[in-house]
Amino acid sequence: MSDLVGPFEQAVLLAILRLGEDAYGRAILHQAQESLGRGVAAGALYTTLDRLEQRGLVRSKLAPGTAARGGRARRYYFVAAEGNRALADARATLARMWRGIKLPATVKS
Amino acid sequence: MNAKGPPRWAEFLLERALPARDREVVTGDLREEYAEFLRPQFGALRAGLWYLRQVSSLAGRSVGEGGTMGRLLLLSSAVTAMCGAWLVLMELLLRHPGFAARVVVALLIVAAGLATLLARLLHFGVLFERGLWVAAAGLIALGVVSFLRNARAAHFEGFVFIIAIVLVLQGALMLATLGRQGNQNRKIANASL
Repeated sequence: MSDLVGPFEQAVLLAILRLGEDAYGRAILHQAQESLGRGVAAGALYTTLDRLEQRGLVRSKLAPGTAARGGRARRYYFVAAEGNRALADARATLARMWRGIKLPATVKS
Repeated sequence: MNAKGPPRWAEFLLERALPARDREVVTGDLREEYAEFLRPQFGALRAGLWYLRQVSSLAGRSVGEGGTMGRLLLLSSAVTAMCGAWLVLMELLLRHPGFAARVVVALLIVAAGLATLLARLLHFGVLFERGLWVAAAGLIALGVVSFLRNARAAHFEGFVFIIAIVLVLQGALMLATLGRQGNQNRKIANASL
């Protein structure tokens, strides 16, 4: 089983999967904000992307920039095989944790 | 830069706060968000404030670089800069004989603290690289001399004792962390050629 990924890392990985070939920094930021339902600081996103890449969960490649970016390059991200496994593990772990639980839960004293 | 881009000074700060690998990509992403979405939607003021928040969140990443030693270096640099500023202020207020020379030394301490903070937070390490060894050796020597003179003095000064230790610590950490950062910068520069 690969190392578990945290909730924010899962949101970023899932955003990359949803965006497919259009997954670059700004698009991932929007997608992650939408799925989490809150604002996301750019610092948090890029730190997470760097960490995921170092762990081999995502890969990236540079592409030419547009005029709106002042010609600066875009970095596109892809979920690697290890990233897919980590997401599957995270989902399976959550499913095991929630098995048999119904909300609102009652606590017996 | 086009007129609809983020403030030039803020973009400059952001570029300095980012490691070389991310510089072009991240500033491009934020410029695109600013120019295509935020400024047309919310106006220059709110878009500018958003941009500054992102700059501060990205500059915060530098604090964690270099691990525990990097953070200790930041702390010791901030302490030496503040202690130096306090010494300058007190010397100028009290004006004991020979205060001018001590003000110069205290100003050098402030400069060393601020220069190290800049090098760590805004990735100016390469600019200081040539003077790094001299500056670090100078700080260590100043700390050791201050410590010994204070130990032999008729009146032991706790404040000088603390500054002396922090100066030695800062010098040692500079050698350990900024030297390594310079090597990494050189590797990145060579790799991008």
